[in-house]
Amino acid sequence: MSARPQRNVILNALAQIGEAGLFGLTLLAAVPRSLRYLRETVRQLWFVGAMSLTIIMVCGLFVGMVLGLQLYYVLSIFGGTAASGTVVAIAIYRELGPVVTALLFAGRAGTSITAEIGLMRATDQLAAMEMMAVDPIAYVAVPRYLAGLIAMPLLCAVFCALGIFGGHLVGVTWLGIDNGTFWSNMTATVDVWKDVVNGILVKSLVFGAVVSLIAVYQGYTTPPTSEGVAYATTRTVVASSIAILALDFVLTAFLM
Amino acid sequence: MSQRHSYAVGTGLFIVLGFAALAYLATQTTSVANTHQGASYSVQARFANIGQLKERAPVKIAGVRVGQVSAIVLDPKQEVADVTLSIDQDYSHIPDDSVATIFTSGLLGDQYVGIQYGSSKKDLADGGTLARTKPAQQLEEMLGKFFGAGGVADNLGGSYTVKARFSNVGALSVGAPVKMAGVAIGSVAAVHADPVKLDAEVELSIDKKYDQIPDDSAAAVFTSGLIGTQYVAIQPGGSPEFLKNGDEMVLTQSAMQLEDLIGKFLVNGSPSEKKDAANESPAGKQ
Repeated sequence: MSARPQRNVILNALAQIGEAGLFGLTLLAAVPRSLRYLRETVRQLWFVGAMSLTIIMVCGLFVGMVLGLQLYYVLSIFGGTAASGTVVAIAIYRELGPVVTALLFAGRAGTSITAEIGLMRATDQLAAMEMMAVDPIAYVAVPRYLAGLIAMPLLCAVFCALGIFGGHLVGVTWLGIDNGTFWSNMTATVDVWKDVVNGILVKSLVFGAVVSLIAVYQGYTTPPTSEGVAYATTRTVVASSIAILALDFVLTAFLM
Repeated sequence: MSQRHSYAVGTGLFIVLGFAALAYLATQTTSVANTHQGASYSVQARFANIGQLKERAPVKIAGVRVGQVSAIVLDPKQEVADVTLSIDQDYSHIPDDSVATIFTSGLLGDQYVGIQYGSSKKDLADGGTLARTKPAQQLEEMLGKFFGAGGVADNLGGSYTVKARFSNVGALSVGAPVKMAGVAIGSVAAVHADPVKLDAEVELSIDKKYDQIPDDSAAAVFTSGLIGTQYVAIQPGGSPEFLKNGDEMVLTQSAMQLEDLIGKFLVNGSPSEKKDAANESPAGKQ
């Protein structure tokens, strides 16, 4: 898979994107074959999803709290602190929830997927599997990819819930915005389809698909050296972050 | 075995937690929390101006939510907004001469439809019409009445591309909506200053659907709410002739500047200043 050395940065990047896309198609084609390794998928879901809950919950809580604090400060200039519930909810559903979850996920789970598969490659475990007639794509790559895809929206929902809770904690409990106003303004303005479904489901599903693909692809195609694994792990974070933020803009433009 | 069990249970918990969070957010923090699941019936109400009323805005009686706005359509023939209210079946004893009014919650809040009971013995039926309505109050109209500026305008309008001259467009920008009875029917295509007449020439591009706007209609630059963006409102006139492409709207009312208004308000007491203010007030002078 490792491409011939290319000097041109742009061509190199294009080749990487193209190879990653083809690799994604290979993964999708291998999904039926990997169904017999369902237990492996569940184990990966435990690792990338359930084990990421702590960081997602803590970060969600703090993001919501800082939003509540900043909004209270800014909105009190206009005497509009009652709107802070609405703004916290919309900001978290539409942008912060999916984007921050995806960035955290790339750092927490994406890197470990890349490093794990990369080390398997470097220590010839993947080749050994092939010799034992175990398809490494179906057994190693697809379960991790599917786990990432499933985990991202769920993590994003947890992040958003904790974010709202954090905003409520700061705005209502500490700064004294009226509880009823906070919730009723939120429920009056936030829309299920435009805010919750588009934000939490659509955006984070796309981010989950892209981040997991980048992580699995980088691990699978890593040069089989310890340096190569290190580079691949770094590239996972860099490429994922760029992809998340660029896609976020494109998705927002489409979903608005 | 026990190892396998622990992660399987943990993964299951994680999935349940994720879906529970999603379900909670979708049902408790969004407008779904306000919608009634029970049966409802539809009632029509026609408003001369709906202001910022949106679909799914609440319908309230005595401040209590009884339903929501299900559709807003502009009737191009009559220049009124046709609003369909979907009211909960529990509240089926609304007198058929009740008055529907568009209110604003607070100074900057969203708009809603309030129903005030009439005295009729007959109840409003499904598909019925609330004949008596009060439109949304535009800030400019209220201020206009308040200052005796006449409310209605000094300029005339055209259609598809119609020109209108304003002595002051305020913060009106290209792309701003053109509204009639509060419903957007087009947008501002261009704003440029006329080097000879020293006023602002605004090109309005209006949807072909609305080709029956009387040619003596007035164009006014209004502001949505107190700190909202500016838009061009068309107030229909009574002429049998309709605006055509390239026409110029004669009656216009320029953007009200907050400073001017406050200035007038402050000097209103002294007679000499009052004369000055009166001269200025027909803002879109010919």
